[in-house]
Amino acid sequence: MSVAAAAMGLAMAVAAVAAVAAVITPASRRQPVVGVATAVAGAAGLVSGVAAMAGSGYSVALPWLLPLSGLAFAIDPLGGLFVAVVGGVAVVTAVYGIGYRGHGLGSRAVQASFPLFIGAMLLVPAAASAGTFLVCWELMSLASLVLVVTEHRHQPRVAQAGLWYAVMSQLGLVAILIGLLVFAAHAPDDGFGSLRAAAEQLPPAARGVVFGATLAGFAAKAGIVPLHAWLPRAHPEAPSHVSALMSAAMVSLGGYGIVRVGFDLLGDPGRWWWLLVLALGAGSAVYGILQAAVHTDLKRLLAYSTTENMGLVLVGIGAAGMFASAGARVLAGLALAAALLHVINHAAFKALLFLAAGSVLRATGTRDLDALGGLRSGMPVTTALFGIGALAASALPPGTAFVSEWLLLQSLVHGLPAAGTATAVTMPVAVAAVALTAGLAVATFVKAFGVGFLAKARSPAAAAATESPPTMLAGMAAAAAACAGLALLPALLLPAVGHAVAAADAGAADPAVRSAVSLRLVGVAGSLSPLLLATALLAAAAAVLITVRLVARRAGRVAPLWDCGGGPLTARMEYTATSFAEPLQRVFDDVLRPELDVDVSHHAESRYLVAAVEYRRRVPDPIEQRLYRPVLAAVAWWGSAGRRLAPGSVHRYLGYGFYGVTALLVVLAVTR
Amino acid sequence: MMQLLRRIRRIGRIAEAAPPRSGTGAAGRHPPGGSHQEAAEARAAMAGSVQVRHVDAGSCNGCEIEIGSAFGAVYDAERYGARLVASPRHADALLVTGPVTRNMAEPLRRTYNAVPAPKLVVAVGDCARDCGAFAGAYAVVGAVREVVPVTIEVAGCPPRPEAIVAALRELTGR
Repeated sequence: MSVAAAAMGLAMAVAAVAAVAAVITPASRRQPVVGVATAVAGAAGLVSGVAAMAGSGYSVALPWLLPLSGLAFAIDPLGGLFVAVVGGVAVVTAVYGIGYRGHGLGSRAVQASFPLFIGAMLLVPAAASAGTFLVCWELMSLASLVLVVTEHRHQPRVAQAGLWYAVMSQLGLVAILIGLLVFAAHAPDDGFGSLRAAAEQLPPAARGVVFGATLAGFAAKAGIVPLHAWLPRAHPEAPSHVSALMSAAMVSLGGYGIVRVGFDLLGDPGRWWWLLVLALGAGSAVYGILQAAVHTDLKRLLAYSTTENMGLVLVGIGAAGMFASAGARVLAGLALAAALLHVINHAAFKALLFLAAGSVLRATGTRDLDALGGLRSGMPVTTALFGIGALAASALPPGTAFVSEWLLLQSLVHGLPAAGTATAVTMPVAVAAVALTAGLAVATFVKAFGVGFLAKARSPAAAAATESPPTMLAGMAAAAAACAGLALLPALLLPAVGHAVAAADAGAADPAVRSAVSLRLVGVAGSLSPLLLATALLAAAAAVLITVRLVARRAGRVAPLWDCGGGPLTARMEYTATSFAEPLQRVFDDVLRPELDVDVSHHAESRYLVAAVEYRRRVPDPIEQRLYRPVLAAVAWWGSAGRRLAPGSVHRYLGYGFYGVTALLVVLAVTR
Repeated sequence: MMQLLRRIRRIGRIAEAAPPRSGTGAAGRHPPGGSHQEAAEARAAMAGSVQVRHVDAGSCNGCEIEIGSAFGAVYDAERYGARLVASPRHADALLVTGPVTRNMAEPLRRTYNAVPAPKLVVAVGDCARDCGAFAGAYAVVGAVREVVPVTIEVAGCPPRPEAIVAALRELTGR
């Protein structure tokens, strides 16, 4: 029995124990017990994933566990990477969850669902048959749904968000189900091995159906535009450590599904499908970050940023597919490695950011950036950790996302001479989209950090904020340490990512030469040394500080902040999140279509005197308005039309049965 | 281009000699009670470059038009080293106009405190010197020198741009 299998078995056992313990322990001790047990399960999952990435694979079939199909699990480096991501995020969120109290959080159902959710997520990348995959996938969706609606008794919006999430995740499951069933119909059984073998003989139409249907399902889970509507609803309303789990771990399993089906099982669904993946990714990246840039709800902003990052992952996957089908295996390996590295990086910084947002929510009771500010004095540790997360997310050196986005850009830029008109047209556009995304991400996170945490408090709640309990800080600190490690020493991780790429059978095994400090790309010119870059930045900052100290001749004088002489500065004079984003909103007016409303009320005595100006702005999701409204209206119409058939008369129902059977018999008689 | 540079070099500066740096100037009048010694030291420290922040302490805007003119294309006070800036934090000198009203007395004091030392104050116009037509009005605190220490006063209602330029040249010494 390999290390990976033993660790995975341990993880499942501990997760099951945690779920049982959640039901039987008294409420006072429930959260610590479940938190510690879940953290142990997550750690075991992490060990299992890392061992699998290092080459310790296993394969186990449990035909007795489920009727009809049984369960089959196998793990390769590709699945191991995602198991490790889920395990790592599970550890930090479980530790955080020990001290995170809120409405309904301590209830049995919620505390039992938490380890179940993590267990199901750990099993999804380890599934080795279509049936197993779908069972684990559905278990994951259901457990997360219970967690999303934790606070439904206290806020009606939570139930609404839960409904959206439930409907979209179930529709996504149906799409994946259709795709995998069509695939399995052409194979002797539904094991991934048989599917892989049968992919060669798959007719082109079936190939398209399989990839198209599964792509729709996985894209819905990954929050890809236009199937993202559940994400900015469910993420903000879920408890923050659940948001972190969903955003950092569950959503990236959508990316896993696309890689698994597209590269591993199907081999190659065709270049145009990959182009579609790339286009969806680029669109989601730009659209997601644009919405994030103008939203003032901290967790909604982070949710849209998840759409953006998953978009970037899909850009990498799509580019890898295009290169692979054009025969450029080195570039394909590089692009897929960039995408997988971005999955890991995104998990680290998004877990940190959501946990920090939860810490703010606990202390102030609000997620509205326009009512925050001034948290630096009350919550210094959370502020510092959110700062690290914001730097990591904003694709600037020495940030975490910078490394993977640099790799992604390298693959796209070098992809130009690869081959084909499609590539030549697509790559520059993709480069531009990724670059625009990176720039807007900087603006977004400057807004989130600067407006949310620095300056003066904009509300009494923000002024009275106090620091979170140590377990929450410990969870965040662990995520921050992961961000720092990934930002400075990605070279240590890349060989393992290379194994995952090789396991997906997509490209050259090793996209980067391993060396502790620098990445030097193989096959294309390019090298980067994040550690030296960070050191140089620090040294430059230190040099400037020392020079200023030495050169300054006079001692500084302490003077009050200049307030234009008119009186003390108040929080109302500060930039708000809305005003900070206003220029961006103006530039991207055509895409965002904000609803502005300015009300000027005049003095009673003269209309030349203004009494008050009221400015209201809403940025409704335009895709939702254009795409979902008509569909929802059509469904509602269909429903009410169907209701007319059922007026409650028993005679009519009996008549339906009689005429139905008669019609069937007539049809059978005619056709036979 | 070279021709132009050569001509600039040959002709040099064309301006009347700067007014004397100490004592009572031709255009301005030093108010009683001001420390001439300190003002002279401050002017020396500025070495010919004075950044000026304008404060309207309650003026009728007549003086503002003349100040605008003094810094305009015709009189061009900037060629003598005086320059208008947008914050007292950037300034060496304040250019105060108008009688100091009750609403502006405290902001004027704060503005004065916000200017880094060494600092100078120019009171422009009759109102700034002795409240002019507004003397004794209920909204007026007093002349500028009753609120902040004044280095030079410029007479006139409003003073001509030449007078303002001359006072500024007295500060810059150019």
